[in-house]
Amino acid sequence: MNPALVLVTLAAGGVATMLRYLLSRALSRVSRAESFPWAVLLVNALGSALGGVALGLAQSQGMSDELQLIILTGVCGGLTTFSTFSVETIQLMTHARWGVALLNIGSNLVVGFGACLAGFLICVG
Amino acid sequence: MKQRSAPPSPTKAQAPLWALLAALIGGMCGTGLRLAIDTLLPHTAAEFPFSTLIVNVVGAFTLALIVARLWSRAPEWLKAGLGAGLLGSFTTFSAVMVSLVESTTSGLWMMAAVYLVLSLVLGFTAAAIGLRVGKVSTPIDWVDE
Repeated sequence: MNPALVLVTLAAGGVATMLRYLLSRALSRVSRAESFPWAVLLVNALGSALGGVALGLAQSQGMSDELQLIILTGVCGGLTTFSTFSVETIQLMTHARWGVALLNIGSNLVVGFGACLAGFLICVG
Repeated sequence: MKQRSAPPSPTKAQAPLWALLAALIGGMCGTGLRLAIDTLLPHTAAEFPFSTLIVNVVGAFTLALIVARLWSRAPEWLKAGLGAGLLGSFTTFSAVMVSLVESTTSGLWMMAAVYLVLSLVLGFTAAAIGLRVGKVSTPIDWVDE
């Protein structure tokens, strides 16, 4: 793999991570702590939508492998997170907030999959 | 960008510059590690995405462990660098969704179902174990054997 391509992918991942961190800081100010993990839902929805768009463009426009790597592995991978989603869900469960935990799982899956599928279907043509 | 009105507690309200830098560096490292595992365990759209499953389960366990072990005493830059940065970017939600869209639109329903269930069950179990282990483990005493 081209070292410059790897570097650009890592930079894309780093900048997307910074964006996720800033969004979670901003949202933790407006929503009360432990109410609902909005920040992760937001970044996971955005990243999944962009992932679907990239997948669709790869199939319809023949987007290059390099650009796919930068967008999918770098931007989408950095923007979204599975670890925080898992830990926050278990923390809700250990505080016996079962309804919110289930709502968190359901909304991430439905919104994430829906956004990804919509992005894909729009761009695959 | 200019802030119009300064928040009452700038250290709490604004992301400190060091924390942002830590998130950037951690994010690059986490993305690099994920890329390395993707390269070692490549998969086509029709094959089971083992690399993403491994990354997400290992990342969920490690984040849970350090949250339970370090978070009460950790400074903001360390949380940003290790939590949001390294482990947040190491794991990925979008890759799971992209694989699910790829497999369901190709009619690979069984693979999609198994992948989704394994990701959730193993990821949540790893997080639960990590939180438990992080809480019960005591500091290692390096001085007295």
